[in-house]
Amino acid sequence: METLAFLADGFAVALTPTNLALALFGCFIGTVVGALPGLGPVNGVAILIPLAFSLGLQPASAMILLTCVYYGCMYGGRISSIMLNIPGDEPAMMTCLDGHPMALQGKAPEALAISALSSFTGAILATIGLMLFAPVLVRFAIHFGPAEYFALYLLAFAAIGGVTGTNPAKTLMAAGVGLALGTIGLDPTSGTERYTFGIFHLFDGFHPIVAIVGLFAISEVLLYLEHGHEGGSKAVIVNRAFAKWSEIRQTGGAMLRGSGIGFVSGVLPGAGASLGSFMAYTLEKRWSDRGTFGKGDPRGVAAPEAGNNAAAGGALVPMLSLGVPGSGTTAVLLALLISLNIQPGPLLFQTQPDVVWGLIAALFVANVTLLVLNLPLVGVFTRILAVPMRILMPMVVMVSFVGVYSISNSTFDLFVMVGFGVLGFLFRKLEIPVVPVVLGLLLGAEMEQNYRRALSISGGDPGILFASPIAVGIYAATAVLLGIAVWFAVRKRRGPAAHEEEAIGD
Amino acid sequence: MSLRLSDRIAGAVILALAGWYWWVADGFRESFGDPVGPSAFPQMVAVPTAAFALFLIVRPDPDPKWLHFPGVWRQVATLATLLIYPLLIEPAGFPAATFLGAGALSRILGATWLGAVALGLIVGPGLWVLFDPLLGLPLPLLPKG
Repeated sequence: METLAFLADGFAVALTPTNLALALFGCFIGTVVGALPGLGPVNGVAILIPLAFSLGLQPASAMILLTCVYYGCMYGGRISSIMLNIPGDEPAMMTCLDGHPMALQGKAPEALAISALSSFTGAILATIGLMLFAPVLVRFAIHFGPAEYFALYLLAFAAIGGVTGTNPAKTLMAAGVGLALGTIGLDPTSGTERYTFGIFHLFDGFHPIVAIVGLFAISEVLLYLEHGHEGGSKAVIVNRAFAKWSEIRQTGGAMLRGSGIGFVSGVLPGAGASLGSFMAYTLEKRWSDRGTFGKGDPRGVAAPEAGNNAAAGGALVPMLSLGVPGSGTTAVLLALLISLNIQPGPLLFQTQPDVVWGLIAALFVANVTLLVLNLPLVGVFTRILAVPMRILMPMVVMVSFVGVYSISNSTFDLFVMVGFGVLGFLFRKLEIPVVPVVLGLLLGAEMEQNYRRALSISGGDPGILFASPIAVGIYAATAVLLGIAVWFAVRKRRGPAAHEEEAIGD
Repeated sequence: MSLRLSDRIAGAVILALAGWYWWVADGFRESFGDPVGPSAFPQMVAVPTAAFALFLIVRPDPDPKWLHFPGVWRQVATLATLLIYPLLIEPAGFPAATFLGAGALSRILGATWLGAVALGLIVGPGLWVLFDPLLGLPLPLLPKG
C-alpha cells in the first residue's frame, strides 16, 4: 500500500517533538478562539497566520500549527452554540438548534460530549476520505495544462458564487473586485507597473494575509461595536462534569450519516462547512425526526457537528490537490501556503510530499488531541465564555496589528489592513460576501499566468482555451453551477416568505 | 417601497471604478514576444465586474440599517484609534503605543477608566515581552530618538 507508506512518513514528520508541541498549542488556542462568540475558524486562523509566518517555521510545521488552530476553532465553535445559543461561527449555527435546548434541560455535559465525539468522528472519517480521494484527483489533474487551470479557476469562482452567497450577482462582483485588487503591483511577466500610483509599497501588491486579517478580524470588531451586547452572563451553568453514556450511544448513526454528507459537500468547490452542517441537520431531521428535533434531540447535535467537521476535511481535497479552496478557511490556509512559497496543486504531492502527508498525519494527531483535550477540559473552556468583550476585543485587535506589522515591519501595511477592515465592514453590511474577494486576491495572479501561458502556447489564439475536452467539461460544470445559483436566487426572490430550508432541501 | 439606495450606490461606485480600471489598463504597453500583454487580464476582469455592478443598480436588495446609535460613536472612535495607533508605534515605541491603543479600545467597549488603564498596562508591555524577546519578532521598544 503506497498510501500507507506515505502516511507513515507523514507521521514521522508530525510526531517530532516540535511539531507535536505546535499541534497541542494550536489545538488549545484554536478551541479558545473558536469558543469566543463571534470569532470563528476564519478569524482564528487569520489572526494567527502572520505569527506562524513571521516565526520562520518550516512549511510543514506552520501548516500543522494552523490546521490544528482550524480544527480547534471548529471544536470550540460548538461550545458557545450550546452554552450561549450564540454560534461561534457560521457552520456552528445548526448546532444551536438542538444543542442549546439540551443545555437548558440540564443536559449540557451530554450535548458537549456528543458534539466533541461527533466532531471527532466527522473529522477522522473526512481525513481518511482526503487520504483516499486526493491522490486520485491528483492523478487526474496532473494532465492539466494552463488552459485547464484557467477553466478551473473560473469554476472555483462560479462555485463559490453559487453556494455561499445569498445573491450570486454580489458574490461574483466581489470575486471581480478581488481579482482587480490582485492585479495591483508589478506585472511579473512584463514588469509593467499596474495601479501602483508610483507608491513604492504597492509594487509587490497587497499581501493576501494583510487583506485577510483586515477583511475578517477588523471588520468583525467594527460589526460587533454596532450592537455591543455583552456576552458571557447568559451562559448555562454546568454542574456535572461527566456525560451519561446512554444519551451518546443513540447518536452513532447520526454521526456516520452526518460525516458522509458533510464530506461530500466539503469536496464540492465553494460549498464549505456551512452547507455541510446545514445539509447534515436537514437530512437527519428528515430521516429520524419524531417531533423531537429543535427541542433538544441529541441526534440534532450529532449530525451537524459531524457534518461541519467532515466538510472541513473535505474542503482540503480540492485545496491540496488542485490549489482551489473549497471554503473561506481553506482560502486562508491557501494564503498561508502561497506566502510560504508553496503552490498547492498536483505537483505538490510529488515535489513536497512531506508537507502533504505531514499535514494529513497532523490532522489525525490534532483530532485525537482535541478529543482528549475537550472531554475533560470542557469546564475550563466554558469559563472562557465569561471573559468580557472589553478585554477580549482590544487583545484581538492588538494581536492582529502585531502580526501584520511583523510581516513587513511597515506602518503602511497596518493602514492597508485597516482599509480592508473598512471595506469588509461595508461589504458585510451590504451582504456582499468577502470570501470571494480573498479568493480573487489569492488566485488572480495564477489565473492570469495560466491565461497568458495558454495564449503564448497558441500564439495568441484564444481558441486554445476551449480546445481540450477536459477544459470544455470544466466550463460545462461552471455553467451548470451558475445556472443552479441563478435558479436558487430567483426562487428566493419570488418567495421571500418561503422557508430557507425548503429552498435548499427540495 | 424604499429606494434601496445602498445597493444602488455601491453598484454605481463599483461600476465607475471598473470603468476607470478598464481605461487605465488600456494604457499599459505591450511587450514583445508576449501575445497577451499586461492589459488583457485586467480588462477581462473589468467587464463582468461592471456587469454585476450594473445588475446591482437595476435589481438592488433591501437596505441594511447603517446607523445603530449609540454604536456609531463607538465605531467612529474605534476607527480613529485604529488609524492613529499605527502612526504612534514607531515614534512612541510599541509598549507605549499599545498601552494607549488597547486602553482606548477597552474604554470604547465599556470598560471603566481604571479598567482600561489596567488592561493597557498589561497588554502593552505584555505583548512586547511575548513577541519580541520570547517569540523573536522585532518590535520597537523605545521612542525613536
